[in-house]
Amino acid sequence: MKNYKLLIPIVAFLLVSIFLYKGLYSDPTNIENANLAKPFPEFQLADLMDENRLYSKADLLGEYTLINVWGTWCVTCRVELPFMTQLRQQGVKIVGVYYDNAAEAAFGELDVRQTRREVTEMLAQLGNPFQFNIYDEKRDLSLDLGVTGAPESFLIDDKGTIIAHRRGAIDHRVWQNEFAPLLPNNHGSNLSEQQK
Amino acid sequence: MLPEIGHFSLLISLVFSVCLAIFPLIGAQKKIVEFVALAKPLVYANFTLLSVAFFCLSWAFYHNDFSVTYVAMNSNSDLPWYYRLSAVWGAHEGSLLLWVWILSLWTAGVAFFSSSLDDDDVARVLAVMGFIAIGFLAFVIFTSNPFERTFPMFPIDGRDLNPLLQDVGLIIHPPMLYMGYVGFSVAFAFAVAALIGGKLDATWARWSRPWTLSAWGFLTAGITLGSWWAYYELGWGGWWFWDPVENASFMPWLAGTALIHSLAVTEKRGAFKSWTVLLAISAFSLSLLGTFLVRSGILVSVHAFASDPTRGLFILVYLLIVIGGALTLYAWRADKVVSTHRYKLFSREVLLFVNNVLLVAALVVVLLGTLLPLVHKEIGLGSISIGAPFFDSVSSIWFIPFIIALSIGPFVRWKQDRFSRIKTKLFVGAVPAAIVAITCYLMLQINTFFSLLGVVLATWLAALVVYELITSGKKNPLPLSHWGMSLGHLGFAALVIGIAITKVASVDKSVRISPGQSVTVNNYEFKFTAVEQFEGPNYSAYHALFDVSNGSDSFSLKAEKRYYKMHSNVMTEAGIDPGLWRDIYISLGEQLDGDAWAVTANVKPFVRWIWLGGVLMVLGSIMCILDKRYRKILSWRAQRQPSEAGPVESVSANKVIEQKVKFE
Amino acid sequence: MTTRRQKRLYAGLSLLVGLAVTVGLILYALSENIDLFYTPSEIIHGKKETGVKPTVGQRLRIGGMVVEGSVKRDPESLMVEFELQDTGPKVVVRYDGILPDLFREGQGIVANGYLREGNVIEAFEVLAKHDEEYMPPDLAEAMKGIKHVKPSENPELGYQ
Repeated sequence: MKNYKLLIPIVAFLLVSIFLYKGLYSDPTNIENANLAKPFPEFQLADLMDENRLYSKADLLGEYTLINVWGTWCVTCRVELPFMTQLRQQGVKIVGVYYDNAAEAAFGELDVRQTRREVTEMLAQLGNPFQFNIYDEKRDLSLDLGVTGAPESFLIDDKGTIIAHRRGAIDHRVWQNEFAPLLPNNHGSNLSEQQK
Repeated sequence: MLPEIGHFSLLISLVFSVCLAIFPLIGAQKKIVEFVALAKPLVYANFTLLSVAFFCLSWAFYHNDFSVTYVAMNSNSDLPWYYRLSAVWGAHEGSLLLWVWILSLWTAGVAFFSSSLDDDDVARVLAVMGFIAIGFLAFVIFTSNPFERTFPMFPIDGRDLNPLLQDVGLIIHPPMLYMGYVGFSVAFAFAVAALIGGKLDATWARWSRPWTLSAWGFLTAGITLGSWWAYYELGWGGWWFWDPVENASFMPWLAGTALIHSLAVTEKRGAFKSWTVLLAISAFSLSLLGTFLVRSGILVSVHAFASDPTRGLFILVYLLIVIGGALTLYAWRADKVVSTHRYKLFSREVLLFVNNVLLVAALVVVLLGTLLPLVHKEIGLGSISIGAPFFDSVSSIWFIPFIIALSIGPFVRWKQDRFSRIKTKLFVGAVPAAIVAITCYLMLQINTFFSLLGVVLATWLAALVVYELITSGKKNPLPLSHWGMSLGHLGFAALVIGIAITKVASVDKSVRISPGQSVTVNNYEFKFTAVEQFEGPNYSAYHALFDVSNGSDSFSLKAEKRYYKMHSNVMTEAGIDPGLWRDIYISLGEQLDGDAWAVTANVKPFVRWIWLGGVLMVLGSIMCILDKRYRKILSWRAQRQPSEAGPVESVSANKVIEQKVKFE
Repeated sequence: MTTRRQKRLYAGLSLLVGLAVTVGLILYALSENIDLFYTPSEIIHGKKETGVKPTVGQRLRIGGMVVEGSVKRDPESLMVEFELQDTGPKVVVRYDGILPDLFREGQGIVANGYLREGNVIEAFEVLAKHDEEYMPPDLAEAMKGIKHVKPSENPELGYQ
């Protein structure tokens, strides 16, 4: 009788642990994106490096494409770039959507030439996974996509339908589990975890 | 080369910790003297190795070795040397290394200051601490190695330390906090060792008391610093936010506060034995839980995206082993403890029990408020937030019984007392309390019930503490620990007064204002004189200059808005004129059209008293530790050392100390 | 002189009463102070999990993106009005006070406030999602704190 009350602390602790365990695996990056299984939104935007080169949705069609929203200011994007570069070498078509950090606009106008310099430098250092980069200057495309931060990635099929989505970095594990199985020829599934 | 040495030291230290957890424990249980004798050398070796590792990382930071990933991510060659050094614990890997190093420091401390304890008992305590070290060392080595290199390509310069952390307060805040967190491991180890050894008398309580007090002092200092830092660094004058990261440090503090009071009862009266053991386990368990909550990112998920739950899982398993193990041991062994000591309903024991119950209730509320959002989400009811309003409304009721018990407690005798005996003494506090209440009501326009009550009760408490010091000091000189206790209680009174007044009497005005215009808040006229652009070493900034005056008093203030390029981060540096009776606080908001700015001007009466309270509590704990009785224990050690003591002598040594302690 | 048994009974009873009062108070404080989180679409269409729509006057938390071009400021005061959106309909947020450092059009924010009409929220607190980046938790932890913004004139604070 007296001993049962000594069991209270351990039982309470085990109960808490169950929730801690569940919380650990409820991945906030899995928040469903409302655009999943919908067609990729229409857009008309310039190339990041050349404002005269315009892209539209048609440039993304015909092939399974990974759309990656990123920026040089974003630390996690740096972590992600080398792996994405490996993916490109495996034949995955990757297109970047460049997303500016709004905080920079607070101190003077954003200088696109400065951004280009930083992009070139960073891609030279960490690898360049992108076929081309779309400059989403007004963030219209990002808003249409329901993007809330960077990095964020969308996989679209050859007809332009969004078939997979990820908030946060894509690493080997995520690619293997969530993206690779959706590709027709299973690109990148034979990547080893040797990166770093 | 140095980073490799650091990494290697960590690995050896892990091996040593495994040995430390196993051999001395077996030695103590099976009476193998050689195994017991291993404990102390292993502890000192561990401390040396981890100091080497810590030094190697600091060296890499100091010399801008960006080939180390962790350095490259958290430092920059533009950073002044002191921030480069404090950047060592600026992020995950390094702060874990600091955690482990501090653990080895406490362990070495226990080994060094425990010569007059029975060797077997010390061996058990050290083994438990070694066991704790294993988990954290493995965590550092296998999931968060700070010595990892960036080869083959390494950056020319680092990414810079997070600007929020480039601050003096943040240089010392984490080490203090960790000293507190980890310091509770000593009480934990003493309690668990007592459970393992089956010696649940008051001895373990006596020995762990100074350790617990110092850990509590560090934790109090850490929390106070954190609150002060948030006040001046986050830019709107808040000093406590009830966010999960803060709650994670507040919960061990509550448990620790309960523990130091309950330890007193166990040591002096031999009561509450099993309850004290449970508190000792809880205080450290909550420190570990806090570390888990913070490190796994499980609660800060608004902006933390745990792409990989391995780290979190690692700590969770470790928690299950350490906390679960200790609590199981408790459930299994603690029923043997019988507190034979009897006391009446009106006695100091009961009042301390009330104090403990209230502290634990507060602890449960904070735990509930911290974990409920998680539970709510996991059972599929959607995301919720429980913020300051919940905690504020609960704590505004909570402090009433707490302060009453706290005020009466020191007057009441152990074992049994009559209320009529102390009744008249309690009126001593009534006069100052009434005067202060009227003053507050008239001068500061404090007219809400709870604040007024807070001020009244806190003044009453302070008056009684002073009265008690004077009356009991008359007969014979008071021991330092008595002064420490009184100082701690005065600190609490100051804290309550600070909170009660600043919550209600603070006035702030957010206005749209251009240079040349002025705004009046609470008799203070703030005149916006100019805005200047400014280039700092690694940031650019706007300075807004103000002339403030209230007739008798005039000064100028500078509020700042900084933009840190490397992190693309905007920071607000408030302009503060501090004072014991009031702070003037200006923070600069956004730039509006034209030359107008959004500006908040605050007058915050008594806000300093909150940290003053913290400082007094820390001083109180220091005085308690410096008390003669603990010094005697230490000096006894010094006397004893030359002649290697045999078992007989050590028994008599314990007796002598016991007598001395009784004499106090 | 009461017997020891009687004393124990009183002690036990008062403990029980105290416990009941405490639990009651805590539950009451909780029920008053839990803020459910909604997205703009959920305000209009009801929560995804349960389909429950918030009622007018309810205190809640809302998170979404500030619609480009929707921020309107009062030229005389700090009153500001803007629209929030996720992927569906928009809601209007009104706020009187200093916006956080990272508040900007096209940026994610979280606001605490009261639902006034069908799609208007009167915020007493606006928090910028301090970074647009999905960070590993350790990085996020290092940046602890910046999300704190003053809960100005919040009548629900227990001291008013």
